[in-house]
Amino acid sequence: MSFYLSTIAVYFCVDLLAAWALNMQFGWAGIPNFAFILTQAAGAYMYAVVALGPSGGLTAFQHYILGASLPFPLPLLVAAGAGGVVALALGLITLRPLRRDYQAAVFLLFAVIASDVVSADVGLFNGSNGLAAVPQPFSSLQTTLGLGGYQWLYAGFTAVICLGGLSLVRGLGGSGWQRALRAARDDEAGARALGVNPAVLRLQVFFIGGMLAGLSGGLLVGFISAWSPGAWEYSETFAILTGIILGGVSNNWGVFVGTFLVQIAFQELTALFLPQIGYPGLSDALVWVVIGVLWLLVIYFRPRGILPERRTRMSTLQPSTSPEMSDAD
Amino acid sequence: MPTETSNLSATQMPSAPVLAASDICVRYGGVEAVAGASLTIPTPQVVGLIGPNGAGKSSLLAAIGGQSRAASGRVTFDGEDVTQLPPHQRARRGILRTFQTASVFDGLTVFENLLVAGLGDQGSRLRGALLRTPALHARERATAARAARVLEEFEISHIADHYGRELSGGQRRLVEIARCLMRSPKLLLLDEPMVGVAPHLVERIGEHCRAICERSVAILIVEHSMEVIGSICDRVVVMASGEVIDDGSFASVMKGESVREAYLA
Repeated sequence: MSFYLSTIAVYFCVDLLAAWALNMQFGWAGIPNFAFILTQAAGAYMYAVVALGPSGGLTAFQHYILGASLPFPLPLLVAAGAGGVVALALGLITLRPLRRDYQAAVFLLFAVIASDVVSADVGLFNGSNGLAAVPQPFSSLQTTLGLGGYQWLYAGFTAVICLGGLSLVRGLGGSGWQRALRAARDDEAGARALGVNPAVLRLQVFFIGGMLAGLSGGLLVGFISAWSPGAWEYSETFAILTGIILGGVSNNWGVFVGTFLVQIAFQELTALFLPQIGYPGLSDALVWVVIGVLWLLVIYFRPRGILPERRTRMSTLQPSTSPEMSDAD
Repeated sequence: MPTETSNLSATQMPSAPVLAASDICVRYGGVEAVAGASLTIPTPQVVGLIGPNGAGKSSLLAAIGGQSRAASGRVTFDGEDVTQLPPHQRARRGILRTFQTASVFDGLTVFENLLVAGLGDQGSRLRGALLRTPALHARERATAARAARVLEEFEISHIADHYGRELSGGQRRLVEIARCLMRSPKLLLLDEPMVGVAPHLVERIGEHCRAICERSVAILIVEHSMEVIGSICDRVVVMASGEVIDDGSFASVMKGESVREAYLA
């Protein structure tokens, strides 16, 4: 049970980091980034290929680029960078000239095409078989701590990174930058008429969100030691998004609650406790059907989620005393 | 030019034009909405832009504000050619505007709406958000204090914590204008600010326009109510079929044949 709980803890932290990243892009900036999972996958793949040694020898069963044998934590930094770069590239192509509904379609197409390309090109990341035997960080501690202890160590490490992510998101959350992003989300022409440049702000939030997503991908592959196209199907983005919408868009704690309910309570726990029904794979398929229905129900009955976006009151933003106020008085 | 019915006080005679738009053409596909219109606005002056529907008033406003790209012509603001600049760059130079359909950020509170404008491009930089320097904190505090004063001035402090989506039509107009003031405009473009506004608020918005003008802000206002135009404008420009057909005091324009013809055409 301890093994299972530590695994769930790691998954939850990884999912949460990704959800906060997507919430920045979707909740704050209003970008329907249906290709979000690409940035997480980019981080995971890059983590794997820079942590693995050169292709051949013990890893001759798989083909991949780089193989730099970088020591930890460098692969994690590379993962974050890769997520950011992929997000930036996606944003440069998609964000400027297209309307939001077209953007959503283009993002979705990117996600599908990328999955097909990576599956077909064996020389890149070993095609549809994916990469395995990715070195785990702190692996030398496995012998002293045992597998269970190591799992909890990794869960703790992931939680610390997750807290760092929360700190970043909270810091940005109350800033003028975030407010300008939300303004551009609500009315782009109005924001531009006030001197805000939405194109730059959106690329920035895309880059930061991409970095956090890449980091989450790196943390995940460092834990499970393997990564393949099956792990990052485009539908994964919708699962993250369902958690955000259920919990409360633009509310960090809402995203926390929604992610726990959808990704853990619903997806992980049901897989463990509910019996498999019908032909193999039917239960998993039904989970996705229920996620879709859940999304519709939330939008219909509680569009602002369980914990709606918190109203920022004037009293929290206004100083009690300031030279300007004194002058006015 | 100010004439016998000017609303300007004797100490506030207009100076050199803050805005000079010359031979502006705006086309939407094959339709020429503005066909070589020219206009100058000195500071401080409230200029009314009137004309029948489809005259090209809003399109001219959009060409000055940067929301529509002029197919030809030139917009000079404060001595600088801004014809090729995007709207956010023009706003940073002091050209602020409101829209026909009031633009309020619905997911932000009224106070936040004002802060977005007040902090400007420097206050909304990512670097500032990441570093949170004392200088930025001081700027945010000063902007918040200023926003509170503007809310008081517009007598809308009681809705400071309301979301944009919770406001009435008149309140949205007031917030939109108040928001523009947070950026210290040199030229304010108001596109039908009285549409859908209760009569008592129409009067208030008019009073605010005069008060803003007295702070050396030029105002170009598109409005269909002649009562409003007559009460707040120093000068009236008349447009029809994309061209400027008259320019003068309210009284002289109202006497002119061209205006009557344009409205009856």
